[in-house]
Amino acid sequence: MAASERVARARQALLNRAAPDLLARVHELESEVAELRQQSLRIAELADIVQELLIPMAARDQERIDALVAEYRKGL
Amino acid sequence: MRVGPGPDTVLDVCFDGRRVWSFWSRRDVVEAGSGRYLAAWPKALASRLKGATAVTVLPHGASGPQFAAEIAFDDSGERLAIVNASGQPLGLDKSGKLVPTFDTRTPEQSRALLDSLVVVLDELHAAGIDAFPAYGTLLGAVREQKLIGHDSDADIGYVSRHEHPADVIVESFALQRRLVGLGYATARYSGASFQVKVVEPDGFVRGLDVFGGFLAGGVLHLMGEVRVRFEREWILPLGRCTLEGRELSAPARPEKLLEAMYGPGWKVPDPAYRFETPESTVRAFNNYFRVTRARRAAWAEDHRTNRIRVRSASPSPLAEYVVAREGVPQQLIDLGAGQAVDSLWFARQGSAVVAYDYLTAPAGRARRIAEREGLSLDSRVLNFQEWRSVLSEGARIARVAGPRTLLARHLFDATPRFGTDSIARFASMATRAGGTLYADFWCAGVPEEDQPWRPVDLADVTGILERRGAHILETDEFTDPVHQDRRTGRVVALWRPASA
Repeated sequence: MAASERVARARQALLNRAAPDLLARVHELESEVAELRQQSLRIAELADIVQELLIPMAARDQERIDALVAEYRKGL
Repeated sequence: MRVGPGPDTVLDVCFDGRRVWSFWSRRDVVEAGSGRYLAAWPKALASRLKGATAVTVLPHGASGPQFAAEIAFDDSGERLAIVNASGQPLGLDKSGKLVPTFDTRTPEQSRALLDSLVVVLDELHAAGIDAFPAYGTLLGAVREQKLIGHDSDADIGYVSRHEHPADVIVESFALQRRLVGLGYATARYSGASFQVKVVEPDGFVRGLDVFGGFLAGGVLHLMGEVRVRFEREWILPLGRCTLEGRELSAPARPEKLLEAMYGPGWKVPDPAYRFETPESTVRAFNNYFRVTRARRAAWAEDHRTNRIRVRSASPSPLAEYVVAREGVPQQLIDLGAGQAVDSLWFARQGSAVVAYDYLTAPAGRARRIAEREGLSLDSRVLNFQEWRSVLSEGARIARVAGPRTLLARHLFDATPRFGTDSIARFASMATRAGGTLYADFWCAGVPEEDQPWRPVDLADVTGILERRGAHILETDEFTDPVHQDRRTGRVVALWRPASA
């Protein structure tokens, strides 16, 4: 067997041994990316609620707060 | 329908001269052996094949049919008419639903949609958004300067100046509120897209979809199908296009966006076009924008196929347990009410009932019955996967005086993990004046394919409730009396009145 063929076989054998670990690592990374991406909507929801409802609540105008809560739900 | 040999071609199927369906002669058929192919009638159409009609099949855009014959699907002697209850002609749209496609509408009927397209675009521009017609609407404007006949809704797109998905979503929330302020009814599809509902003169409600997008790192993300390398100058500055005689804004290079949406063949009309969105794009959009809508389609389908005779249905064992344990509650909150059988029963016992669910349509019959019988039954939307829904409704109901009883029958096992925590959060908000939660859920024995249910652990549920301030009064686990291969978990949890 030529030296180049032996090197190619050894490289392939190394890859074959590493592949399951690499696949597992890729799956883990995909889950981590998915989890991070999902935070975008949660952050946006909290930012929206704070901005639209909680800051006016600091004015302690209960009537206005009740009206805002009712109005907020119409826009969901 | 048997289809002969030949290249893959779009075929239009017409009943009495009107197109109702289109399909590709190779992509959409199954091989039946000996060089023959079969095209199955689409589900929505198959159930309507009653009576007789002149069936013609021809390549889209051709003048002469490949097939023409009078076909009687039964011996009723009636004429087959693919129309809705109001007599409006229908055709299959790209999602396989029978709707009044644009080629069945008169100019008068389409005017409301076109007017709304102009109003919504103007309002988005006034809000600083560079919006333009998108998808089928842009395609029709660029290719033919009119609405595409086989299309059934209108679409608007925009590329936000923001680059982070969270900012794009907050912006989309504000835009929806702005259009609600103009008097439009809307419905949200995802964090970055929503639908404006346009009522046409004959009462049909047409969708005008608003799809948000952003450019980051040279990649355009445009809901719901586009995620490609793109140049900002292909969108801005906006140009113009003409649609049905109206001048509208357009991307600077509309052909670039149309190619991103439909591929290089966008110039050729295809009434059977099917998006083949890359898996990586679907994953990205689902995770960025669609986490508040899990299992929605499964639930809508479940209610459609498992209709209950609400008027005469018996209450659930859980509802009966509530009354046996504490009497008829003054205020009853039915969480995940579904078709609202228990809600109606409690209302008939004298409770003031609020029925909450992800979807409002399934409780429609119960609502109408309660109204006729003069009962106190309020039906409201509550999405446990959406914090905005849970927190705003929790804030509202916390202000309604009096202790209340909450019913959560097969709710913990019907929502993803985020939702189960939200149920407990909402319950803690709704019981600020005190209250008790009764919950039944599958904890074992549910087949994996039996969507949309998933079993949950009894200890997990009690843990979630305790972390939200509940005192667990009772737990139980028993063989379900109806599905005897399944185990039901039951929890009764108390929230004491919060101190002032």
